[in-house]
Amino acid sequence: MRARRSLYLFTIPALLVIGLFFIHPIILTFEMSLTNYKGIGEAKDVGWRNYERIFTRDRYLTEIWLTLWYTVIVVSALTVSGLFFAAMLHRLPLIRNFSRAALYTPAMMSFVVIGYVWQFLYSPLNGGINVALRDLGLGAWEQNWLGDPSIALYSVAFTQIWMFTGFTCAIFLAGFAGIPEEINEAGRLEGASSWQRFRYLELPLLGPSITVSVMLTTIGTLKTFELPFILTKGGPDGATRLLSIDIIDNLFGQYKFGFASALSVVMLVIVLAVAFVQNKVLRDREHTS
Amino acid sequence: MSLTETQSAPQERAGPDWDLIRRRAKSILVHGVVLTLVAIMLLPLVYMVMMSFKTSTEIAQDPLGLPNSLYWGNYMAALSSMGYVRSVINSLGITLSVIVVVVFAGAMAAYPLARMQNRISRVIVMVMALGLATPNFVTITPIYVIFRDLGLLDSYLGIVLAFAALKLPLAVFFYTSFIAAIPMELEEAARLDNCNNWQVFWHVIRPLLAPVTATLSLFVMIMVWNDFIYPLLLLTDKDKLTVMIAVYKFVGNTGIDPTKLFPAAVLGSLPLLLMFAVFQRKIMAGATAGAVK
Repeated sequence: MRARRSLYLFTIPALLVIGLFFIHPIILTFEMSLTNYKGIGEAKDVGWRNYERIFTRDRYLTEIWLTLWYTVIVVSALTVSGLFFAAMLHRLPLIRNFSRAALYTPAMMSFVVIGYVWQFLYSPLNGGINVALRDLGLGAWEQNWLGDPSIALYSVAFTQIWMFTGFTCAIFLAGFAGIPEEINEAGRLEGASSWQRFRYLELPLLGPSITVSVMLTTIGTLKTFELPFILTKGGPDGATRLLSIDIIDNLFGQYKFGFASALSVVMLVIVLAVAFVQNKVLRDREHTS
Repeated sequence: MSLTETQSAPQERAGPDWDLIRRRAKSILVHGVVLTLVAIMLLPLVYMVMMSFKTSTEIAQDPLGLPNSLYWGNYMAALSSMGYVRSVINSLGITLSVIVVVVFAGAMAAYPLARMQNRISRVIVMVMALGLATPNFVTITPIYVIFRDLGLLDSYLGIVLAFAALKLPLAVFFYTSFIAAIPMELEEAARLDNCNNWQVFWHVIRPLLAPVTATLSLFVMIMVWNDFIYPLLLLTDKDKLTVMIAVYKFVGNTGIDPTKLFPAAVLGSLPLLLMFAVFQRKIMAGATAGAVK
């Protein structure tokens, strides 16, 4: 038994690195969030004032709301688009692997590259999307995609959805692969159409994949920072100012380390709370159905 | 396409088999539609490559058209002014070092976690789960302060350790589920031969981890190569920039000039795209590892 307990020595290198560069920083973040630290000089203790400010100003409440709304849009669209492609490709083994890899390509590229390319696609003057609309005779649909406050958030969301459709599709295809072929065979003999087989046989059996996909995309999307940072810098008029953008802006734009830390703590609590609730709800649903 | 179900009844000779023809046509149509949708999804990337070969006059006159010829001038300009080769070497060095730390420390930590379930291992697993959920800009402020005070800003060692801390939880989860599936009998046999913990790990467990290590390494490589915020804030020395920061600075400084943006985007993604083309199967396995369990 002593030999077994000493096995825990194996965790020391990992815990050392994580402790120094992950746990310790999180504790420091919390400590700094109770001060007015400016990056240099003395940090004065201000108690919970940073948090009070966050929860009493509309501006920050709006940012939190925007972050959650953005996540809802992206996650639901990713689930539907991933399911759509997976359900199609599952039925087409000839082109399945090729298409899966093709769809996944954007997901393994960098946000910086994708952000810049889409910034150009969205640009109002010679941007790819407006020019394409004009060429198709749909000139009336031209928009200032990133410059119009009422659509900028959706333009950013669209880019993220485009990027990660291949990711959810890959997860769902793995789920489809786990469904025994006999079930579909039985459905086919009963005369169920392709849609009926999807709706009543496959979809319920995809429960676990849906749980995993929704959880991974939710956590990933709540953390979104790079795309709005590159595409809009939070503008126009704060329309895409997600919590993450404000954290970085307070940090390296205004050197308000203390306040940025308080925003970070709020962000972390939101992410953990959402992950916890989602895990609970989705797992329960899986077990009851 | 399996056509085994179709009965070929030679003696009927009732003309062409309309049912078969109809099903074939439908199948071709469905394949065509889905392939078209996939192609539409790839259009932005095709556009990126196409634009990178156009001269600025071509872009102005015909923004969507194919380039008249493969104009390499944009690439020459980008290569000479964005410090591409230097930044690729930096990114590769940082990425490989992170992989080494993450693979060794991750596999070691996963071994006891896969073999023992008690309060200690549950706490460690919870710390790891916290690590997976935490956005990296939440820890960037204190890391910046710590690095500044320790003199680790602008050092490869610092950024490698910071990345390793960020990616270790993933590695530990990867390895834990994999090691748990290794039969205990293998270990027990080694213990009967008087192997100690380390020898069991090194000679029995470690060799069996090769396939999952390959997948994990590719995955960590993609994430570290593409990461933006850590190198942006922790490395400022021009000679230490990673590829993505080089792209960011090069494009950002020129105010989204398409003749600079698109070749830089292609150059920045090229090493990963080549890797993806070669290791596609392993990368897809990593992407879906959590879903299959």
